[in-house]
Amino acid sequence: MIGFLAFSVRRGWQGFWRNAVMSIAATITMMLMLLLLAGLVIGLSGLQAGLRFVEQKVEIQAFIADGTPKDRIDALAAQVGAQPEVAIVTYVDKETALAEWREQLREQGRTDYTTATGINPIPASLRVKLRDPRVYGQVVETLQAATGVVTDVLETQRVVDALLGVTGFMRTAGIIVMLLVGVTVLFIVVNTIRVAVMARGEEIEIMRLVGASDAFIRWPFIVEGVLVGLLGAAATLLILAVAAAPLGQVVATLVGQVPIEFDRNLAVELAVAIVGTGVILGGLGAFVSVRTYLIR
Amino acid sequence: MALLGSPAVPEAPDLVDPRRVTVALLDVGKTYPNGRQALIDVDLVIPDGDFVFLVGPSGAGKSTLTKLLIRDELPTTGTVFVAGKDVTRLKRRDVPRLRRQIGTVFQDYKLLPTKTVLENVAFALEVTGTPGPQIRPAVSRVLELVGLTAQADQLPAQLSGGEQQRTAIARALVHDPRIIIADEPTGNLDPLISWEIIQLLLRINELGTTVLMATHNAEVVTAMRRRVVAMEDGRIVRDEVGGYHQEY
Repeated sequence: MIGFLAFSVRRGWQGFWRNAVMSIAATITMMLMLLLLAGLVIGLSGLQAGLRFVEQKVEIQAFIADGTPKDRIDALAAQVGAQPEVAIVTYVDKETALAEWREQLREQGRTDYTTATGINPIPASLRVKLRDPRVYGQVVETLQAATGVVTDVLETQRVVDALLGVTGFMRTAGIIVMLLVGVTVLFIVVNTIRVAVMARGEEIEIMRLVGASDAFIRWPFIVEGVLVGLLGAAATLLILAVAAAPLGQVVATLVGQVPIEFDRNLAVELAVAIVGTGVILGGLGAFVSVRTYLIR
Repeated sequence: MALLGSPAVPEAPDLVDPRRVTVALLDVGKTYPNGRQALIDVDLVIPDGDFVFLVGPSGAGKSTLTKLLIRDELPTTGTVFVAGKDVTRLKRRDVPRLRRQIGTVFQDYKLLPTKTVLENVAFALEVTGTPGPQIRPAVSRVLELVGLTAQADQLPAQLSGGEQQRTAIARALVHDPRIIIADEPTGNLDPLISWEIIQLLLRINELGTTVLMATHNAEVVTAMRRRVVAMEDGRIVRDEVGGYHQEY
């Protein structure tokens, strides 16, 4: 068994370098495909992060009539909070709401007239965050039913629905594009490795004639394919590492204010995905390519 | 073995145990998917230690017959026994073990151009999982037998045609096969070198290995006075010791 493994690895390594031009062509193909995949993953993941940000902003705001006793507000908050669709209910009193309002004005560089009038025109409110921004349940109805407490419910449902429709479509489209690219990658890699295997058809024929078992014929090529995958993945990671900083700046300039927070594990996940995809594609490509020579 | 000059009486296939001879073909027919009948009602028994010439014009079925023996093709009808195994019932994973009992030699040598003589012969052992320490002595032994010890480190391109064919024969021998199947081994060689190759095959036969040699070379066949199986249009038309009565 150890002899067989050593044989496969040695022959795979030799095979890779014997036809170096072909092997490097296969490796570069693999690298380009992995870069394309990585680009898609990063793009999609950025999109996801952006969408998550937007979705988090979705909340229902119920304005409270001035002078409502605190216990009635608490009761309403508890009633709404008990509904299964609701994640959290926050009470924002008049002072906090005013402070937020002033903060917003300052950020936008507009004049704050509230200091001049000396009264606080901003109502207190209940802010309801939903577990899933698409599922409202009876939340809005409950809030509207509390006449005397709630003056108005901010109706964002239609806007949110439209937005979620768009984001859902983008997610699905992104996944479909990624699948299509994945299949294309597999075909191209299989084809490239098949050419490399075909160049060694004579050797395979001799192996069959002298009585080599299928495993002895197949595994050196699989090792060679995995080697192509590993080298392609290494080159891809190198390019991504070098390009990460300048690309990050470009993205920051383009996107600007929207805080797209990438998953902190994205780099690790991406590296694992690239190496894994490379190895699997290379090995699978070689497996499929040699198969045609073995089945007779 | 029949006496020289007298016609051999091939044993009737139903009287021999096909598992006890090196090769036995019983009522074998082969029709290719395109409808061409390559073999029709072929019966052939080759006992251990025999030396058999297989002759006939191109397209007579010689190559198909050798392909059946190494199970590169399966017969459409009938059964093929090689080294005691019914190859038509052999499982795919048992085919390699069968092929290790058959040494094959071809007109075009089928040597790997990037490997030396020694490496080409050792290759046959490496790819069949022979433990490393056993490879070198076995290779040295067969290289000595074919007279290529001095050329062990040369590449095929540095060798003459005869030397290349002897390398191929060494490779075929290195597994200690029960039979050597040589398909036109002298087809690319001039007459003098052809004789060398025939002498070598004879010597191998004397050492106990059965030899089946498909050839067009009438001169050789006539001179050798060995068993000759003649094929025409997919049938065995003659099976006797001696001459090559017809020019093909």
